[in-house]
Amino acid sequence: MPHTKRFGVVGMAGMLLPALLVVMVPAQKAPAQNFSPRSTPASIAATTQNNATTQNNATTAAQGQNGAAAQNFREVMDETGRTVRIPQPVMRIVSLAPSLTETIYALGLQDRLVGDTDYCDYPPEAQKKQKVGGAINPSLEEIAHLRPDVVLVTKHLNTLDTVHSLDALGIPSYATDPRNVDEIVASAKRLGEVLGAAEAGAALAEDLRRRLDVLRQKIGTLPPRRVLFVVWTDPLISIGKDTFIADALRRAGAVSIIDSKQDWPQVNLEEVAHLQPEVLVFAESHAESTLQHFEVLATRPAWRILNAVRERNFAVISEAVNRPAPRIVTAIEELAEKLHPEAFVEKPAADQVSGNTVADAKCLCAR
Amino acid sequence: MRPLTIQRLFLQCTALAGILFVVVIIALKAGAVEVSLFALGRDLIRVIVHHGGEIKSDYGLIVMNIRLPRILLGVFVGASLAVAGTGFQALLRNPLADPYVLGVSNGAALGAILALLVSPHLSLLPAVADLLTPLGAFLGAAATIAAVYFLGRREGQIDSTTLLLGGVITGSFLAAIIMFLMTSETGSNLRGMAYWLMGNLSTSLQPSVYWILWLGFLLGAGAIYTTASDLNLLLSGEKEAMHLGVDLPRVRLVVYIAASLLTGLAVSVSGSIGYVGLLVPHVMRQIFGSDHRVLLPTAAFGGAIAVVIADTIGRTVVPPAELPVGAMTALAGAPLFIYLLRRRMA
Amino acid sequence: MSTIARPLEMGAFRSPGEASRANNEVRLSVEQVSYAYSPNPTQAPLFTLEATSFQARAGEIVAILGPNASGKSTLLKLIAGTLEPLSGRVLLNGFVTHSLTARTRAQRIAMVQQESQLLFPARAWEFVLQGRHPHGRALRFESATDIAVARNALAQVGAAELSDRWMAELSGGEKQRVILARALAQQPLLLLLDEPTLHLDIAAQVDLLHGLRHLAVENRYTVVVVTHELNLAGEYADQVVLIQRGKCLRVGPPGVVYQRELLEQVFQTALSVELGPSGRPRVIVVADREER
Repeated sequence: MPHTKRFGVVGMAGMLLPALLVVMVPAQKAPAQNFSPRSTPASIAATTQNNATTQNNATTAAQGQNGAAAQNFREVMDETGRTVRIPQPVMRIVSLAPSLTETIYALGLQDRLVGDTDYCDYPPEAQKKQKVGGAINPSLEEIAHLRPDVVLVTKHLNTLDTVHSLDALGIPSYATDPRNVDEIVASAKRLGEVLGAAEAGAALAEDLRRRLDVLRQKIGTLPPRRVLFVVWTDPLISIGKDTFIADALRRAGAVSIIDSKQDWPQVNLEEVAHLQPEVLVFAESHAESTLQHFEVLATRPAWRILNAVRERNFAVISEAVNRPAPRIVTAIEELAEKLHPEAFVEKPAADQVSGNTVADAKCLCAR
Repeated sequence: MRPLTIQRLFLQCTALAGILFVVVIIALKAGAVEVSLFALGRDLIRVIVHHGGEIKSDYGLIVMNIRLPRILLGVFVGASLAVAGTGFQALLRNPLADPYVLGVSNGAALGAILALLVSPHLSLLPAVADLLTPLGAFLGAAATIAAVYFLGRREGQIDSTTLLLGGVITGSFLAAIIMFLMTSETGSNLRGMAYWLMGNLSTSLQPSVYWILWLGFLLGAGAIYTTASDLNLLLSGEKEAMHLGVDLPRVRLVVYIAASLLTGLAVSVSGSIGYVGLLVPHVMRQIFGSDHRVLLPTAAFGGAIAVVIADTIGRTVVPPAELPVGAMTALAGAPLFIYLLRRRMA
Repeated sequence: MSTIARPLEMGAFRSPGEASRANNEVRLSVEQVSYAYSPNPTQAPLFTLEATSFQARAGEIVAILGPNASGKSTLLKLIAGTLEPLSGRVLLNGFVTHSLTARTRAQRIAMVQQESQLLFPARAWEFVLQGRHPHGRALRFESATDIAVARNALAQVGAAELSDRWMAELSGGEKQRVILARALAQQPLLLLLDEPTLHLDIAAQVDLLHGLRHLAVENRYTVVVVTHELNLAGEYADQVVLIQRGKCLRVGPPGVVYQRELLEQVFQTALSVELGPSGRPRVIVVADREER
């Protein structure tokens, strides 16, 4: 029946959106200049006479009548290759993705965040910010009403439509597109630079890299554990090898047994039973419900074929692993500790207390 | 003049059963894990004779516990949808009718989604909790059946046109609610739901559910089959059927409830697998004619064969990932539909 | 239309009492039936048919005659038992037709209507076999008896050679005959036809009525035909029920009912009635009013 199938297509499209988004075309009429990914400030006052007549969200009161540019702009290239003109200094930011909101807080720029999406829930203070709707369908009116200097979007969540609409309104939008953990760190640092908090950005990146290095030292030589990252169980959905989540798993000393080019492949249970992962990894905000759910899985004959199910080898980590934001490093550390507990022991082996290293209600990992 | 005889019906059904058997065997063999059919057969016989002895080998477990249940589920779903589709096409006197046209599948989907949202907040025994989603789906389907029934009546009886209108409207309304719920949760919270809604046989179920499904199929398909002769007459027109002795209100009610029941059962375990209920009856009609005494059983076999083939292709074509069976039936079904349409017009 | 086949055997399907009756008892008795309906609940009901009565015997043809929208079809449906009369009753061999179950009714009353669109293709013999549905169990496969009856029915309407043809390929007249054959296959006591000559050419019309008369006599049917064809009714009917705007104006043999003033009033046009060569009245439309 048409409406059912139409809905199914919508659902599928909504999920394949990351794969469907193409490189966005340049929207500004700024003269083409070769910018390296590291932006160089340029004063644009003279060249923006014809641009200034477009609707402008200038916040300074000294704006001239016929749009003679009374404030500075800076041209930067975002992570999708678009050239974006951002007013300086950046005082009003709207974030259209939870990961971007987290990054802003991590950069200490939360006072300049004037609006975010309904789903921006971390840190908790972010929930008090003015909401502009969902990530996929934000309210353009709300955004315009907030008069932002720049709107932050990310390619894996937001849509081309939104960006085009913002362009039509003359609101600059800066897009990130981190594909792995390194890029997440670099993206955070770059965001700091673009938003006028270069020092904070550098410090943040430094800290994240340091933590990742420490991790690498601890577990880099250990053989990675074979895991299945479970996104959904009915049907079974995991993550593709090119996703940042897969990269995060690698940093945590694990390797996803699913080798697929799709971002969210539906996986055949037979395949998993054949590969016999050591550990099942869940990313949940509520460990209790995952525990329950796992017990439910353990009653099914098909799932009981998995050693990991029968022996209760599963790990629950923070949902932060699903977001390309600084907090993903915390999730990586969390997972590394659960998968390689012996690498995190503080005392020498002689003093080891009986089996109490990672006595964690969430994880029932056993070697 | 060659009227239908039991012998001919039996022969046709046996032929189709044979094809189904072959398809099932091929499906058993196809998959990520290599299976030796000889060894499998030997183990199967041993299990049956010893009443469920242990199958030790790796492949054996995989085949018996994952592949075989999935294939059987495909047989059930295919047969149910095809029979339901045949019933609705006769009931609504509309060759474009499929099992979902009266909104049952959307009701089931909504029930499943609500069950999913509710279940973390309840503490139930694991085995019971696992039944919550199919149960929710079935309750959603049942509620929709009742609602559309009351909407579809005129002067106290089911009227085909009113039923169709009521069903389509209800279905649209439910689809809107589903869309609202789905878009109001981002992240992985309900992402998996979209895969399920596309039509999926890969959900593994508790064994008890299979018994319920088969019982439901026998009841539903059996009930529709008792009206087979009446449905033949219905094809000539409702008034004519009445003058030829068909108890129209009773037949309509029986077919409506039975076909909706079959659809509800199928959707509550596998989402909305499309095109099977619409096209299998047409194909069987081309081969075997419009006599429902033949059409109903052959459609059941045909649906089972179609779904098992589609599912087998879906799970072997892009390992380790798989394509949902609903996507496969749509890929095959749409061109087939166009072909059938043009044949009729030619 | 040739009647080369044997008359259909009827004895096995009658109720015990009927076999012992004399040949010419009244079979169909329409007693003061009337009908009204409300198009919607708040409006007062419209009378489609006021109290009407007539009787018919086996072997008779009754024509219900009147202009369009006079209530003829309503009367036919009341006789068929598919509508419940507001007052009065219709008796077929002593049974009230409306109170029978659909199945029992179909064993005794056969309705021939304009065929509605067949949804899926069917062959003529399949179509005729549908007439056997009221006899036997609900879910059944056709028995030898059924096949014989169906074959015979096709032969009786002269359509034996159409047996294997697809219904969609038949001409109007051929289809009409097959539909009639299906009605005959029901082995009814009462044969009802609603405007059967509408889409037929003259030859086919005559063929049909002629055939009906033969069938009525040979198979001992009571035939009720709704029509507005004055001359066909006049030629072939044993009784005519004349209806105008829901009122039954006269019942009787054509010679009695076909009075010029009456007919002109009912059909609202200048007519003249003559006696035809067969002894039956013939009605002629007077073309030019001034000449009279």
